[in-house]
Amino acid sequence: MAGALAIADTRSQFTDLFSVYQWLTVVVAGIVFGLVLFALVRYRRRGNEYPRGKDKHTVAESIYALVLTAIAITLVTLTFRTEDKTDAVAANGGVRVDIVAFQWQWRFGYPDYGKTVLGTTEHVPTMVLPVGTVVRFDGISRDVIHSFWVPAARFKRDEFPKRHTKFDLRFDRVGTYIGRCAEFCGLRHTNMDFYVRVVPRDAFQRWVKS
Amino acid sequence: MLVVPRRASLIGWVGSTDHKRIGVRVATYAFGFFLLSGAFALVMRTELARPGLQVVSENTYNELFTMHGSGMFFLVMAPLALALGMYFVPLQIGASDIAWPRLALIGDWLIPLGGVTMFSGFLTDHGAAKAGWTAFAPLSDIDRSPGYGMDLWIFGGLLATAGVLLLAISVLTTIVRFRAPGMTMLRLPVFTWSMVATCLLVITSFPALIVALSLLFVDRHFSGVYEGASGPVLYQHLFWFYGHPVVYVIFFPFIGAVAEVVAVFSRRRFFGYHALVLSLLVFAALSMSVWAHHMFATGRVTNQYFALTSTILLVPAGVEYFDLIGTMIGGSILLSSAMLFAVGFIVLFLIGGLTGIIVASPPLDYHVHDTYFVVGHFHYTIFAGSLFGFFAAVYYWYPKVTGRMLRERLGKLQFVLYFLGANLTFFPMLVSGYEGMPRRVADYENIHDLSLMNMLSTIGAFTIALGTLVFLWNLRVSSRKPVPAGNDPWQGHTLEWWTTSPPPPHNFDSLPPVRSYSPLYDRRLGES
Ligand SMILES: [Cu+2]
Ligand SMILES: [Cu+2]
Repeated sequence: MAGALAIADTRSQFTDLFSVYQWLTVVVAGIVFGLVLFALVRYRRRGNEYPRGKDKHTVAESIYALVLTAIAITLVTLTFRTEDKTDAVAANGGVRVDIVAFQWQWRFGYPDYGKTVLGTTEHVPTMVLPVGTVVRFDGISRDVIHSFWVPAARFKRDEFPKRHTKFDLRFDRVGTYIGRCAEFCGLRHTNMDFYVRVVPRDAFQRWVKS
Repeated sequence: MLVVPRRASLIGWVGSTDHKRIGVRVATYAFGFFLLSGAFALVMRTELARPGLQVVSENTYNELFTMHGSGMFFLVMAPLALALGMYFVPLQIGASDIAWPRLALIGDWLIPLGGVTMFSGFLTDHGAAKAGWTAFAPLSDIDRSPGYGMDLWIFGGLLATAGVLLLAISVLTTIVRFRAPGMTMLRLPVFTWSMVATCLLVITSFPALIVALSLLFVDRHFSGVYEGASGPVLYQHLFWFYGHPVVYVIFFPFIGAVAEVVAVFSRRRFFGYHALVLSLLVFAALSMSVWAHHMFATGRVTNQYFALTSTILLVPAGVEYFDLIGTMIGGSILLSSAMLFAVGFIVLFLIGGLTGIIVASPPLDYHVHDTYFVVGHFHYTIFAGSLFGFFAAVYYWYPKVTGRMLRERLGKLQFVLYFLGANLTFFPMLVSGYEGMPRRVADYENIHDLSLMNMLSTIGAFTIALGTLVFLWNLRVSSRKPVPAGNDPWQGHTLEWWTTSPPPPHNFDSLPPVRSYSPLYDRRLGES
């Protein structure tokens, strides 16, 4: 099913891009903190002096603004490239999963297999998915806005009433991951959790038929 | 602030259209709402100190974060921003009065009226509003949010927003029409320029909230405006069309004040004045085009457009940092309490700004949106940034407003507590959000380091509270044993330091010639 589809694992997409931003953040913070500290130590008032320096430096500031613009364009370009992959929708195929969010539970349906998982107050629902396979999600809410968030996948998407939200994901690692509703949805928003259990493909086939 | 003239009659004080009294009044009750909304945060932090529900119910918790956020935006930060402008803009431009004083007086009183209306929701059967300060439809509709608390919240928000709007109209008109001879637009002090940008944003964006909330009331009681398939997204567009610019409304005045403080305590004319003015205007213009970066995870907006406009904001922001640090380098820096808070602003706002660049990237925001990462990010900008800027302004201008000095030692103690407290509270939030903690939850599981991170945040919040007590103590000590300030205790650069402290009702008996954006600095250079 995975075949030649361009759907990538969102976690590694996120990690690659985040590390660029994180690196930039640390460098910029280091430079600014260093300059502030330098100014405070080096230019601390000692006597009653009145410094006389230039009031502006238009050339330096213009070059600096151009450098900032270049940084912004670089970041935006990297972001667009990653987002194209994160938001990509496969041409066809994949496992279809319907998400129904409602105050304050989830229902996951597998239309191709006639299987449904429903969460209850005693029972946190578990969505079982095959590893390395495109999963085509179709989500809707029955009441207010909810948000389908799997922290380990570094991805979330809001679920609206009266309108379907469609997105494709792929999970490349076997394991059980926590999922949460991320959009505040009223009294028991705190408890609106679910699990995603990613299993080998044959195990998935056995599970849907069970 | 918090100064009520002793012998003035109550009616005279309440009804005065003197811009200085309006400014002090607005700042005073905004500070009152700050203490109240801050206390709510302490209750929340106590609840979150450990996993499980110990202190409040989920229902109460939802009321608390809703009213904390609503209070801080509608009743604290935006009013404080305009209060500073109301008081100091006429003084900085050498005006004796404001434009539309009665309009400003109405605006002044609409804000506390809105605040009381909003908080009176706690007295109703269903309690106060609990749909978050964003009150997204359809969670805020009549079925999901029954009761008068939500309606009182709507009216409170409308009144306070209208109040701030009226103040902004008055301040902007004053700048346009009431400048002293020689005070051209390109000689306006940097703080006054920051108020130009602020008022422009208020006037262009606040009406969107008035529309959003009015329609929400109609939705609740007459017809479901936001009921259709597009309704929830429509509401979010209207809300964020206000909701993003408002964060710059509560940023510009404080960076303007910080710029004044940095220049005065570095004994230099502000460096790169024209670049700063330009960057403020570019900033204001761009910030009208970024609102839907709050909606990346909806999958229903043009993410790339809003990612582009949001990321490019780093250019004007970077220019402002260049000018602030450029003023300090080569200066003669005195680390007074005001300057400490200004430096704190520069350092901590940067963390808010850099994490802001991260959330402006949709694929990164897909993960951190609606988590504690975002909570940490915007508290670095609003608390560790803007509120630090506000305290820089307080330590700098309090002598002008009252004629008395605040105690420097207590000021420095407050700064240390605030600086430690802010980092201890908000840095762990960046971690806990990244690790998977959603915002607006009363409880969490102890996976990853969530217990530790939340405990640190709670300790930090109480450190901030202690710092606030030190500030209140400072106010008390300074009024009990007054130390006279004189006209110009800091050797200021701008016209407000020319007149007496506090200034007379008509502000100035005479004015020096104005030949630059720092007229008093010119004089001092001429003398030396
Ligand atoms: Cu939910
Ligand atoms: Cu924004």
